[in-house]
Amino acid sequence: MLSVTVTVTGSKITKVTIGTLNDGGNFRSQSIDQMAIPQLEQQALQAQSASIQGVSGASYTSAGFELSLQDALKTLGFK
Amino acid sequence: MGTVVTFDIYDDEGIDPGTLLPFLAKAVATLHRVDKDFSTWKPDSPLSRLRRGEIALGEAPIDVTEVLENCKGAKELSGGWFDPWRLPGGVDPTGYVKGWAAQRALEDLVGSEVGGAMVNAAGDIASFGGPTSDGPFRIGIVNPSSPTSLACTVELRGAIATSGAYERGEHLFNPFTDRYETAFASASVTGPDLGLADALATALVVGGEEVLALIEGVYDYEAMVIGHEGAMKWTTEFPFAT
Repeated sequence: MLSVTVTVTGSKITKVTIGTLNDGGNFRSQSIDQMAIPQLEQQALQAQSASIQGVSGASYTSAGFELSLQDALKTLGFK
Repeated sequence: MGTVVTFDIYDDEGIDPGTLLPFLAKAVATLHRVDKDFSTWKPDSPLSRLRRGEIALGEAPIDVTEVLENCKGAKELSGGWFDPWRLPGGVDPTGYVKGWAAQRALEDLVGSEVGGAMVNAAGDIASFGGPTSDGPFRIGIVNPSSPTSLACTVELRGAIATSGAYERGEHLFNPFTDRYETAFASASVTGPDLGLADALATALVVGGEEVLALIEGVYDYEAMVIGHEGAMKWTTEFPFAT
């Protein structure tokens, strides 16, 4: 059974989370520590100043996504 | 286990969720169907059964035949560096399927007539339109040596795929040495179709300079790489944002 979460913020649909899509391991989330999260938010603010709408990078797992710039963009509600 | 797909929808005139949601539901159903057919993690998926020789290609869903045909084309274009048939454990088109699935999910949204949409499948993005009618989406490419910062920004027209080992460790297989190893820290490919961009990015990060030269000759596709020491190289028309 796959779970699906759709988040609608105002007129913008921001996040759909699905259970599995052929992926494994959580290499980076294991190697990252709590200090990385405030650092991530700071970097996301810098990304905002670059006026971007999305981020492309090496494939992350759902665990890795929680620590990714793409997620930070969503969390901070960037347009 | 699992990964995350995000949808971003834009329209200058605003969006009516009631109109959009049926299209979005169709796109999400497409992703689930592809996962069901192509999962190598689920032992009873058609692809898993094909890999074990329990079913013939003709008995698998028609999508499996289409994907493997497209993979053949991508293998030829990449000079053999993208090769699902050389992977340990039997044919594994995962390096193409994720992008192909996101591209199909994006196509499900076209009928909603929104101004712009992006489907971001774990860092690979299919798109049409832009955030406003004035211009294209701007996308940051992750800096492989510091994955919470950006290496550069591109103006996206169509799709972008990025491959590298910095998120999940060395999982990229070199079909000519039979080893898990990468020539670059990061390889990004832009073009009209995310399936092919995904396959070419996978080939490029493993194959190195030879594949960068090949992509220079592929119509409508561009590439940019970041070396293990941080040096960047790109094809002549790579769409850096100004």
